[in-house]
Amino acid sequence: MNHGTRTLTRILVSFVLCFSALRGSAQDAKLQLANLDKLSAKAARVTDVTLDGSLLQFAVNMIQKIDSEDEDVAQLQSIIKNLKGIYIKSFEFDEASQYSKADVDGIRSQLTSPRWSKIVQSIEKRHNEYDEIYVLKNGDHVGGVVILVAEARELTVVNLVGEVPMDKVASLERHLAPGEKQSGKNKQKKESGHDQE
Amino acid sequence: MHFSEDDLREALKRKDPGEGFTQRTMARVNQARVNQAQAEGTAPPATKKVNGKFLAWWTLRPAWTVVVAAVLLLACGIGGYQYSEYRHAEEMRIARAKQQQLQQEAEHARDQAIMALEIARAKLNHVLQHAQLQAEPSDKVRRQRL
Repeated sequence: MNHGTRTLTRILVSFVLCFSALRGSAQDAKLQLANLDKLSAKAARVTDVTLDGSLLQFAVNMIQKIDSEDEDVAQLQSIIKNLKGIYIKSFEFDEASQYSKADVDGIRSQLTSPRWSKIVQSIEKRHNEYDEIYVLKNGDHVGGVVILVAEARELTVVNLVGEVPMDKVASLERHLAPGEKQSGKNKQKKESGHDQE
Repeated sequence: MHFSEDDLREALKRKDPGEGFTQRTMARVNQARVNQAQAEGTAPPATKKVNGKFLAWWTLRPAWTVVVAAVLLLACGIGGYQYSEYRHAEEMRIARAKQQQLQQEAEHARDQAIMALEIARAKLNHVLQHAQLQAEPSDKVRRQRL
């Protein structure tokens, strides 16, 4: 094998490795939440969001089209453009203890890989509240985030896959309800309405 | 021999040829043709056929035939144009419906994404707030000890 062929092979192999690593990181960041589906029957309120692939691309395109002069919209655009998937399962119950520890452990067991780091943990044993935030490290970047809220009457798992700017997510406008981000003018009208109230 | 006027009148007066005169005459004519052909050693010439009354009418009136053909052609042309217009309108309608459906799906996806980020924001802040509240009392105790 001559020198040129060897170099070419090396480049090809490193390219394949980089590609598979990137693909792997996206797959690692996505949790299997199917084991929580059985809680839907017991829950008083269920929120189930699965946005990935072409559907997320649709959403990104639609959000990119919104008037970008608005700061909040620009922030929303900057958050969503690097996301590869948004998965949320949230169950609110009328009574306490409707889900088991095994249900939560099924989620935690997927976060044991050394690439996942638990960055925040809040335990309130008196009220049976266990809140945790995990981050998937992808070099210097964040490859995914999991927010686990396990409380007496609520179990929520938020799984964001892709590069997640945590600070921007946390500082998003409080009432970011659908339809309110159509234009800056609409928002200003609503704000003036709130002021009057 | 002398013929009187009465003899001539009698000889030349109209007589009824009898039933089947036309058939007998045509049979004789055809027989004569066949005989002639046999004598010459060739096939008898075919009688000219006229296929139906309408064709006969057209062959007799070529101008009307052209007019009818032109009207038919015009009708076919107008029908074809109308059909192509209908097809075009139908294709446009289907394309518009598809576009509308895509738009609706995209809007639904956008609303879902915004709702998902709203939930993410709320839960993130909720967890951070809880963590902060837990940290604060221990800070106070530490400060008091110092």
